[in-house]
Amino acid sequence: MNAYLILFFLVWIGGWWINIRLSHVEQSRFTKVLIPALFGLVVLFMWELIVIGLEVNPVLLPAPTAIIVKFSNSLSILWIDFVQTLIKGALSGYVLGCGAAFLTAVAIDKFDFLKRGLLPLGNFVSALPIVGMAPIFVMWFGFDWESKCAIVVVMVFFPMLVNCVQGLELVDHSRQDLMKTYNASYTETLLKLRLPSAMPFIFNGLKICSTLALIGAIVAEFFGSPIKGMGFRISSEVGRFALDMVWAEIFVAALAGCLFYGLIAFIERRITFWHPSHQK
Amino acid sequence: MNKLLSVFTAIIVMCGFSVFADGHANKVTIQLKWVTQAQFAGYYVAQDKGFYDDEGLAVTIKPGGPDIAPAQVLAGGGADVMVDWMPSALAAREKGLPLVNIAQPFKSSGMMLTCRKDMGVNTTADLKGKTLGVWFYGNEYPFLSWMSRLGLKTDGSSDGVTVLKQGWGVEPLTEGQAACVSTMSYNEYWVVRDAGYTPEQLTVFKYQKEGAATLEDGLYVHEKNMSDPVFKDKMVRFVRASMKGWKYAEDNPKEAAMIILENDDAGVQTEKHQVRMMGEVAKLTAGSNGSLDPADYERTVKVLMSGASDPVITKKPSGAWTHEITNAALK
Repeated sequence: MNAYLILFFLVWIGGWWINIRLSHVEQSRFTKVLIPALFGLVVLFMWELIVIGLEVNPVLLPAPTAIIVKFSNSLSILWIDFVQTLIKGALSGYVLGCGAAFLTAVAIDKFDFLKRGLLPLGNFVSALPIVGMAPIFVMWFGFDWESKCAIVVVMVFFPMLVNCVQGLELVDHSRQDLMKTYNASYTETLLKLRLPSAMPFIFNGLKICSTLALIGAIVAEFFGSPIKGMGFRISSEVGRFALDMVWAEIFVAALAGCLFYGLIAFIERRITFWHPSHQK
Repeated sequence: MNKLLSVFTAIIVMCGFSVFADGHANKVTIQLKWVTQAQFAGYYVAQDKGFYDDEGLAVTIKPGGPDIAPAQVLAGGGADVMVDWMPSALAAREKGLPLVNIAQPFKSSGMMLTCRKDMGVNTTADLKGKTLGVWFYGNEYPFLSWMSRLGLKTDGSSDGVTVLKQGWGVEPLTEGQAACVSTMSYNEYWVVRDAGYTPEQLTVFKYQKEGAATLEDGLYVHEKNMSDPVFKDKMVRFVRASMKGWKYAEDNPKEAAMIILENDDAGVQTEKHQVRMMGEVAKLTAGSNGSLDPADYERTVKVLMSGASDPVITKKPSGAWTHEITNAALK
């Protein structure tokens, strides 16, 4: 039981105790950020101590300090990978897939026969395993970001479709009747009542699809890619035993995912201010 | 009743201990570099023909595959010995995983770059500006060294080459997405031929001829085990039986191919492909009795350190190989 492991337990217990004390104090904006930040720091500290204390091989698990060093040394590579995978691959697929799903949902809402035909088909397509489709798409669309975009479209289409269709369906009937008494046309009702009312569902779909898009773009790169991109970097650096680079890429992906999700949540808060869940 | 129970337990425990103690000294787990195929015929033949039994060893052969990095299995304790290529093992050594080569059944390199003549590749000078398929996951090192020596950048610039991360097939070539793909002389080259390409339609660059060859399939163990005499003894017996398996496979390629097919749990191999593979692999193992030739090792190190901007290893490794096991095994 060496000094590092003793420190490990001290940091663990100390951090835990501080957080419990903080949570009993009156909650201000400051403490709301401090508690999770403290928790995160304690976890990082514990990781560092256990890697040093148990002399864990860096090929299996690098220490956080090594990862941070690698991260700051590889900013240009990480940026290139970020643009290739998340901007060119994930974002384009996200926009195309969610856009197509939204338009399809509006069409389904208008024409009932489409709903009976397209929803089961969408269900089937969403169940196709991505690891089976990825190599096929690479053959069809080539190695570059286009095939990754296609995979993301297939992954995000059905969840977004289902959410939008539900949102359009579940509009309060008494309000729809009210619009009828105003002699509102289909389009006016759609734009002024049903779409705004469906926004919580639509944003729900957008939030779910943001994580799917990230995952899809990264995994799709395992099956063939040019020599840039986060999926490529992760798999080839694992092959070179540079696990610190792998963790740096994971960190970039996690950061990008959090920011993307946060952005969507922020826009949602602005647009659906009227919903009870956002009221204090 | 209690006394009986405790005596009974003691006997069980003692038996258990003896089995455990005996098992450790005679159990070997080997992690292969790829799936069950004639590339690893020596080990399957040794198991099937009873060469391991003759040495008193219980051997478990773990096939590899797309998601399995043999060095990491070894690092995690999932195997005693693994089949790997020297560039990957030396890179791992430099990164903090001390692997040691204990035997080298493959004398020559089977790595090739197969190109389509109709995409304009006839000589190495034609590679400029083309798209080339390359394996990664530790197999990219010989290619990167070769490109560096040819003076071709791999960043996709117009006076360099564009590199595609190739998967497990040769589709980039057959679909026209790349002018060349990486192939092994015993495997993917024949897949290209089976796809309908005749030798006249292909330009083939053999790494051995281009001076970019590195040592391929060798047996590697973790350095910490090399201070354990029990471990070393079982490795000596394992290498002796495995080399016997290799020489038998070289002399009886058809039988070796059938043994591979019997052991192919995934059911993906065909007789035609395995017989052909065994014939080609025999050309690579010929001339080796299992003992690593230091000249080959030096040549490999030189190739790996010669990549000007991005060498695979930055300093000469020391203690990366040993003759200790093969000297005792081949006495």
